[in-house]
Amino acid sequence: MKRLDNILIIGIGNNTRQDDGLGWCFLDNLLKEGYNEENLVYKYQLMVEDAELIAEYDTVIFVDACISELKNGFEIDRIYPAEKVAFSTHEVPPNQILNLCENIYNKNPKAFMIKIQGYFWDIEIGLSEKATENLKKSIEDFKLSRL
Amino acid sequence: MNKKKIVIEPVTRVEGHGKVTIKMDENGKVENAFLHIVEFRGFEKFIQGHPYWEAPVLVQRLCGICPVSHHIAAAKAIDQLVGINPENLTPTATKLRKLLHYGQVFQSHSLHFFYLASPDILFGVNAPAEQRNIVAVAQADKELAKKGILMRKFGQEIIKALAGKKIHGILAVPGGVHKTFTKEEREYFLDGKQIPNIDTMIEWSKEIIDFMKNYHFENAQWIDNFAAYPSNHLSLVHKETGAMELYDGDLRSIDFEGNELLNIPDTEYRNHFKEAVEPWSYLKFPYMTKFGREKGWNRVGPLARMNTCTHIPTPFAEIERQVFKGYTQNKPNNMTMHTHWARLIEMLHCAELIKDLLLDDDLMGTDLVTQGTPRNKGIGIIEAPRGTLIHEYHTDDKGLITKCNLIVSTTHNNEAMNRGVRAVANEVLSEKPEITEPMLNQVEMAIRAYDPCLSCATHALGQMPLIVQLEDNLGNIIDEKIR
Repeated sequence: MKRLDNILIIGIGNNTRQDDGLGWCFLDNLLKEGYNEENLVYKYQLMVEDAELIAEYDTVIFVDACISELKNGFEIDRIYPAEKVAFSTHEVPPNQILNLCENIYNKNPKAFMIKIQGYFWDIEIGLSEKATENLKKSIEDFKLSRL
Repeated sequence: MNKKKIVIEPVTRVEGHGKVTIKMDENGKVENAFLHIVEFRGFEKFIQGHPYWEAPVLVQRLCGICPVSHHIAAAKAIDQLVGINPENLTPTATKLRKLLHYGQVFQSHSLHFFYLASPDILFGVNAPAEQRNIVAVAQADKELAKKGILMRKFGQEIIKALAGKKIHGILAVPGGVHKTFTKEEREYFLDGKQIPNIDTMIEWSKEIIDFMKNYHFENAQWIDNFAAYPSNHLSLVHKETGAMELYDGDLRSIDFEGNELLNIPDTEYRNHFKEAVEPWSYLKFPYMTKFGREKGWNRVGPLARMNTCTHIPTPFAEIERQVFKGYTQNKPNNMTMHTHWARLIEMLHCAELIKDLLLDDDLMGTDLVTQGTPRNKGIGIIEAPRGTLIHEYHTDDKGLITKCNLIVSTTHNNEAMNRGVRAVANEVLSEKPEITEPMLNQVEMAIRAYDPCLSCATHALGQMPLIVQLEDNLGNIIDEKIR
């Protein structure tokens, strides 16, 4: 088993909406490769209580599908606490969760956002061909990056 | 001065996407105001043709906030399709479903109070927009924010323990449940070793009610009058005692003075309700047939439940209900902003109910499913966090769904929310020389009090920033604000 130590990886998405499942598929691949399951969390959306969840880790990585065009089909960015606030609890951005974590729990885990470009979002299970390619590239890069 | 139209889109700190338009005449007086639900929901249609046992799993996809409510309402309807009435379920199955339901109401009410409502309460309606959010709450009152998160988490953990996961899990099956509760699962919620225990939840719920009562005391003039208007009130009540009942009961409606308008078995709802449509919203307008579209609409949810029930069958919440009722000399409370107070009393009630169930050994029983003689029609009604939730399914002889009707809580409150928007728009915006952002926030507050789940009523996709546009009577945009 490949230990993630004190790293939490949160896959965000919905695998019944085609490429919106990219975040989950990223985790599925890590699981197949033997990464430890307890550090991989599948979520439809982030919620306020995730501030408590991430407070227990040194590093947190959010993985989500992205509708915008990305240079290599994916992007890995360092992210920081921000005061951007979503208008509904259905959509809470990662940097808002980081902000809550910092304010409430005085913890500031190192955080990254892996965005993977998707193309199709209909009610269907399975990634598109291009999204699958982007997924593979993002996983390879993730493994090399030593986040 | 030309006529103006103000658009608030989307309405913020509510669950889902909505839009408000306010039309003003040449003198800046509000002519009319509407809450539009602008997305289309197709669940009633596309579930047709699916086997009935899929319904409790499929329909909970309506929402990421209250999937449990849809799961349970659908399950109650599906029980009837396999010939089982609520009273025929085994004690273990009934109690496990109730525990799931109370966990859902507890977490949903926590989320609404701390995340959506508390910024207005802590900072006031005139605070800058950038301050009216959970991040600012966390900065201003760390302990309050922490309690909010842990209370929400407690409810979510109950859901996870029973349904396998926090969102879109499964507990109910036709005629019962598919799993029981273990001693280890029970201890997790009782011993306080890994998460604050149920006694702590009860104590924190009491503290937050005290906080709200102080807020009412200090802001009585405003909170009593803001978006207050007479209405009917509808909810389930206990069949024999008339007590507050969230899982199964009779439907009772009273008018604004307390006169009883309706008291029927829930399965007879169709004989007493109709749904009207308006061209400017995808959300229907339910009303009691006997009283017509204009007079037959109801409010539902915490305020309505507090008005329709005779008492609350848990001790601490009943004490708080008596204080609440004392405020209006035991008459129905029609003050919209008191909904927040009522919601917190229900949160305490659910915490007490959860404790009672956790101490009940029936939870760990093994008699989980009851069989019956199949029927072709099932109706499941519960009190969801936001109010009365109705699911109805019809099947053919192969068990495939031929017809589905869903009346979600937010739909019942459609007329009430529209009246609230009009009342506040008139009060706050009419004949004012300048329209400010805090003024528009007050319009949203009239909606927010109902904690509407517009995602349940529709299904939304995409990112929508808040856009406020001022248009003249020719439709030209003369001012625009985006946040």
